[in-house]
This record gives sequence, structure tokens and C-alpha cells, in this order.
Amino acid sequence: MEASLLEKLGWKKYIGQETASYAGETVLPRDIRRYALAIDDLNPIYFDENAAKKGKYGGLTAPLSYVSWAIGVPGGEKSVRELGEDGLATFVGVPEFPNTWELGWVRGGEELEFFKPVYAGDQVTVTGNIVDMSEKDGKSGKMIFVTSLFTYKNQKGETLAKHRVTMIATPRKES
Amino acid sequence: MNNQIFYEDVVEGQELPPFEKLVTTVNILMYLSTVWLMDRIHFDHPFATQRRGLPNVVAPGNMAVDYYTQFLTEWAGEKGNLRKLSIQFRSFMLPGDTLTCRGKIIRKYIDEGKGCLELELSLKNPSGINCVPGKAVVELPMKGSKKA
Repeated sequence: MEASLLEKLGWKKYIGQETASYAGETVLPRDIRRYALAIDDLNPIYFDENAAKKGKYGGLTAPLSYVSWAIGVPGGEKSVRELGEDGLATFVGVPEFPNTWELGWVRGGEELEFFKPVYAGDQVTVTGNIVDMSEKDGKSGKMIFVTSLFTYKNQKGETLAKHRVTMIATPRKES
Repeated sequence: MNNQIFYEDVVEGQELPPFEKLVTTVNILMYLSTVWLMDRIHFDHPFATQRRGLPNVVAPGNMAVDYYTQFLTEWAGEKGNLRKLSIQFRSFMLPGDTLTCRGKIIRKYIDEGKGCLELELSLKNPSGINCVPGKAVVELPMKGSKKA
């Protein structure tokens, strides 16, 4: 067994650390519409206020899955000059350690628990914590698994969703 | 909706009607713009293929969460609820692919008076590769109770 990459990077101390906290801006009907078009879900409850009033939630809501990314990456708004060459900035589940981008990141998996939808006009707050880190020897080298738990709440303090994200970091092949 | 499915209507081992989604580069662009994701493997073909060795630009993995969410919330109907969804990213979803979501009921149980189903999910590309396997918990209304 080779030396631990996790030890070398010095990341274990970050377990339990809060990694994200965004006080959300207002979700607009346009945001919801565009999201629904992107995922090609044309349910009228995402487009039409009147249809939405008669629907399950009694008002215009976003698809349940809207919480996971549409809300979760405001920290990723960077200029071209600030972005990495691969176009990446802040990423849901990728913590911002000093040496984060020495590694390449891919998504491992995620788990979402839904409690309430996001309504148009809601302000959604996200908090994220690193809950677990582990290391494995993969086929093409070391793999580090970083699991974060994100909690989404609306302006009334109601929990909308809980989201566990596992990201996999591997040493970059390019130099 | 009149075609509401109830907890009593389903059995363990039963499969949900499959649900198809065509991924296009335009959908990918719409998604990237709306969630503000600038990862070049999703839109820059030379970068994705030559620098990252991918067969094409690839759809953001998270679009699978949206596809499963639509698949399951539509099936569960107005009185049903998608409680939980967990997925693993195994293989890339490519533009031009029609993806097929499938779900199988592996367990029925009552949780605090609510009818719940545990489902095993697959999202297969046209070559039959399960790009994003998953599991879900869906709640369905029960015929006995007036209030779902």
C-alpha cells in the first residue's frame, strides 16, 4: 500500500467543516421556466400560474430537483479570467481547500431527500458540511471520496431538501 | 388527475412503465446556462475529445436527477410523493442518445400510515449501458384514506 494521498493533502482536518452557506436570492418564474425547458419537463405547473394554482402545490413551483444545482452554485459565478482552464470554478460538493484543484474531480453519486418544493418568489438558503472522506486504490491510481451534506431551506425556515453529494478526486493525468 | 395510482394497485417485483428522454446539445446548453456551469467537457468538443479523451461533449450528470425526478413524480401522480432519490454516476450521457429510465418495485411498506415503495432504478443509453443506476422511495396514496 502506497502512502496515503489524503494524508499528504492534509484534508482529514476538514471533516465537519462548513463548506457552503448561501443566503439565496429570490427564485423568479423565469428561472423555473428556463430550468424546466432545459430538462424538457413541460408540466404546466412550472410555466403557468393558473395551472399551478389548480395543481398539487397550489402555486408556481420548480421541479423538485431544482434545489440540487440551480440553487447550489452561486459561488461559481466567476469571470473568464478567474475560471480554471477547464472552465471549472466552485462546484457543488467540491470543497475549496488551498490545493483543491491540484486534483481532478468527478461526481461519484448523490442522494436527495425531498420535503417541499421551491415556489417562485422563495429565497432559498443552502448550508453544506463535509461529512465524510475516504481513500481507495482504483484501477488507475488513488481515489479520494469526499461526501458533503447540503441542506436547503426557504425564507420561512422550512427544510426543502437534504442533499448528500459524493465527489471523487484523482491526481490529474495532464501536467 | 383521474389516473392516480394507489398503493394497493402495485405489487413487489412490478416494473413501472419506461420513460424516455432524448439528450440534445441544445438541452445541455440550456442547462449549463440556467445553472451557470462552465465545465468545458459539456460544451467544448475539441476540449472534451482531445484533452479529456471523451467520445463527445457529455451531459451534466445531474440531468439524470432531473430525468428520474420527472419519471417518478409523473408516475406517482398528484397524490403521490417522491421522498428520496439516490444515484451513482457510472457512465456519461451523450447528446443524441435516447435514455430509458426504468423502475422496479423491490419493497412495499407502511411508514407512519403512508404507503411507501422502494424502487430500483436504471437509466440506460441505446447501447444498454446503465449510465446512472439508482434507488428511490416513492409514497403513494392509500385507498382507505380520504386524505392523501
